[in-house]
Order: sequence, then structure tokens, then C-alpha cells
Amino acid sequence: MAVAQRSGRSRYRLLLLILTAATLLTLDFRGFGPLETAQSRVRDVLEPVVSAVDVALGPVAEVWTVMFSYNDLRSENARLRDEVDRLGSADIRSAAQQDAFDRLLATTGVTYVEGVERLTATVLRDSVGNFDDDVMSIDVGRRHGVAPGMAVVTSAGFVGRVETVDAVSSTVTTVSDPALVIGVRLLDTGDVGLGHGMVGDPTKFEVDAGLRWPETGDLSELPTIGSPVVTAAGSRYPADIPVGRVASVEPAEAGLAQLVTVELAADTQDLGYVTVLLQTPEDEAPVGPDSPFSQESP
Amino acid sequence: MTAPQSLVTVLRPRRLLAGSVTLTVLRLIVVYVLALLLQLTFFSEVRVAGVAPELPALVAILAGLFAGPRHGSMVAFWAGLMWDVYLSTPLGLAAAAFAVVAYALGGVTEDLFHDTRIQTVVLVFAGTAAMVTAYALLGEVVGQRGLVDDRLPRVVLVASALNAVLSLVVAPAMRWAVGSRPARSRARRREPPDAPGRGR
Repeated sequence: MAVAQRSGRSRYRLLLLILTAATLLTLDFRGFGPLETAQSRVRDVLEPVVSAVDVALGPVAEVWTVMFSYNDLRSENARLRDEVDRLGSADIRSAAQQDAFDRLLATTGVTYVEGVERLTATVLRDSVGNFDDDVMSIDVGRRHGVAPGMAVVTSAGFVGRVETVDAVSSTVTTVSDPALVIGVRLLDTGDVGLGHGMVGDPTKFEVDAGLRWPETGDLSELPTIGSPVVTAAGSRYPADIPVGRVASVEPAEAGLAQLVTVELAADTQDLGYVTVLLQTPEDEAPVGPDSPFSQESP
Repeated sequence: MTAPQSLVTVLRPRRLLAGSVTLTVLRLIVVYVLALLLQLTFFSEVRVAGVAPELPALVAILAGLFAGPRHGSMVAFWAGLMWDVYLSTPLGLAAAAFAVVAYALGGVTEDLFHDTRIQTVVLVFAGTAAMVTAYALLGEVVGQRGLVDDRLPRVVLVASALNAVLSLVVAPAMRWAVGSRPARSRARRREPPDAPGRGR
């Protein structure tokens, strides 16, 4: 009798927990402000401790990386030696300093966006979970003027968008995330469409909405392979940020639409520094009757 | 017995119980925060085949095993909720998955009284596999992309294996936190030769 009562109580408690989780899920999906603020405060409180532990355990993690990336490092080293020999470089700086300097230069030398204030940030860490490959943390936040939705770039092009903002850090969803929809323009044809990252390939991006297959069947109306793709005016982000180059064009939706695969311009893996464009983002997604993007996002 | 005396008799055990619960909660917070810090820092870089262990899930599973379904599911829920704060998936996803699996594991193993290290390792392996799979499936159900794909089996297997190995270190810490002894000694304590058993 007592066992049955206890079992009933614990089942009742589990039900309450599940209902609480479902309520939180619903509130989070609806962007309930106090919930986001609470999460941000928790991260803010723990961030100094996380940073301190990160610094303390960093060397140990480096040892692990060196141990298990030895072959990769050796081949990389051989390639770099060849390159150094070829260039005849007489660089006296240490490889680490050179690498950091180059990466900083590469990200701060953004030349393609005019009239937008920029902020250079260091990448604190990549994903923390096993399902967050397209997320990274950077060391700038609310105090530096960063807001959710701002574009994050390198000199190569679009890297992602700021997702959550804490006091002194932020998380960025990279362009390789299949759920991040971006309005783009194909420079070769001038067409605008909506695209997103490809599942399983962080170097590719596909534009699968908004581009019609030529009604006349004239294939010269298709974008040429290698032509540039940039962010579109009217998208959530500043216009003309390089996204990548067209890698392939295929018919989709029974030959009515184009499926354009794009080779991403910016490397979203293993970044050291990025630049945040401090332009207040558009609130709404780039879809709707008045939008240049005629179709719903996938 | 006078009225004040009876009041003291009632209140003192309650105060002791409250103190014991507070101490247990504090110990759990210490163990969980250490696990979370390791996950956020060390294991964001140290991965095997691109997969990190799931320390928050490990704490949740061990809570289910050592504290039983009732209290274990509660600990697992908070462990998942705190982990959700750092994940890009919506708040409540890991909390729900952790609570359900910890409850099930706690229920299944409640009457095991020959627990050994091997048994804990095997249960942690199975529990992690269940938690990661439940998390990914639940995520897909609520519209998260990229959780269930051809990478999932590798993530499940490697994360479960890593958690199973790490349970050798984390299990004693969790036993200390929840104030649990190995079940064999519990069984001995429960069934003394000259006294009636107290049960769990």
C-alpha cells in the first residue's frame, strides 16, 4: 500500500516536471523576455568562473589536442615549410604570434561594408555540447553595444548572426547552421532568394527559395558557376556582405525553381577573431508580401 | 508528556531533516557546478572523434541511480535546466529528457542490491545513450533541425562510452553528494540479523 502510494506520488512529481519543462519550452519559443533575461543573468554570474577555469585548464586541453592531432600537425607543418621555402620568407616572429596577428588582420580588414560601426571580438570557445556545431561564443556583449541579430563577419565574408547577448559575452550562430535563413542576392543575375546552411557540410550553403527556373528554358539565364553571392538589401543584415560563390545550379520543385549550392566565402570553423557589425538588425524575418523574398523560408 | 515537550519532539527531527536536505542540496550544487565547468571549458576542446562526454547527463543519471526515481528525477530536471541555459536548443528540452530518463533508470534499478562498479558503468552507458537519444528526438519533435542525422549514432556511442568511463570518478562524488552508500552495504544495514528492516 505504502509502496503504491510512493510510486503514485513520484509519478505525479514526474508529470509536474514534464509540464514545467513544456511550459518553459513554450515560453522560450515565444521569446518570453524575463526567461531570456534570467538565462542571461545565470551565464553572466558564471562567466568569470568559466573564464578562470578555461585559463587554468587550457594548457591541459592543448596537450590533449597536440597528442591526438600529431599527424595533422605534422602534415600541416610540412605544408607550411614548403610554403615558407617557396616564399623565401625571413620571418623572425614566432609562429604563434604570426598566426594570431594574421588572424586579427584578416578579420579587422573588412572593406565591403561602408558606414556601419564595427567591433572586433575574440572567439572564446566553439560549441559546448554535441549538437551545437554551428554555435560559438565571443568576448563582446551588451556592455559593448552588441544586440541579438547583428551580423558577424570576417574579411572573407558573412560568418553568422549574434544569437544571445550577455553582459560581456555573446553566442553566434554561424552561417553553416541549416536553421539560419539568410536573404541573398546572386550578383550574376540580380535575383534574390533565401538560403541556409547544408546539413553535414559546414562549407556549403544552399539557396532553395525564391529563385525561379527560366520559363523559356534558356540556361544562360542561370547564374554562372563561381559567380558571387552576397547578402540582399532588405534582408536582416547589411547589404552586399559576401556570402560565397555559386558551386552548382540544379532544378528543384519539378523544374520550377532553382536550387543553388554556394561555396561559403568565410571559414566558420576554428576562427580566432571576428568582426561584429553594430547595425541594429531588422526585427522581422525577410519574408512576406512586401518583401523581395517572395516565398516562405524553408 | 507536556505540550512543549511534545512540540520539541516533533520539531527537532524536522529541523534535523531540513538541515540534512540543505546539506545534500549544497553538495549536489558543488558536484554539478564542477561538472558543468569542466563541460564548458575542458571538454569543449577535448573530444574523442569530435564528440564530448555529457557530464550534466552523467550527474543526472547517477542522481537517478543513487537517489531513486523520486528525488533523482528532480535533480536530473535541474541539471538539465542548467545545461539548457548554455545550449542553443530551447530551455526545457534537456530538462525534460534528463528527468524522464533518470526517473526510468531510478525505477528500474531501485531494487538492485548487488551494485558493483561494472553495473554502474553499464547503467551509465545505457542511461547516457537513452538521454542523448531522447534529447535529440524531443528536439526534432519541437522543430529543432540537425539533431537527428547520420551523426547521431556516433554521438550516442562515443558520449555514452566516455560517460561510462568518467562514471568511475563521478560516481563516488555523487554518492557523497546524495549521501548514498553502495547498495550492498545498504542491504546489510537494512536487514540486520536481530532487527526489523527499515526498507528504502
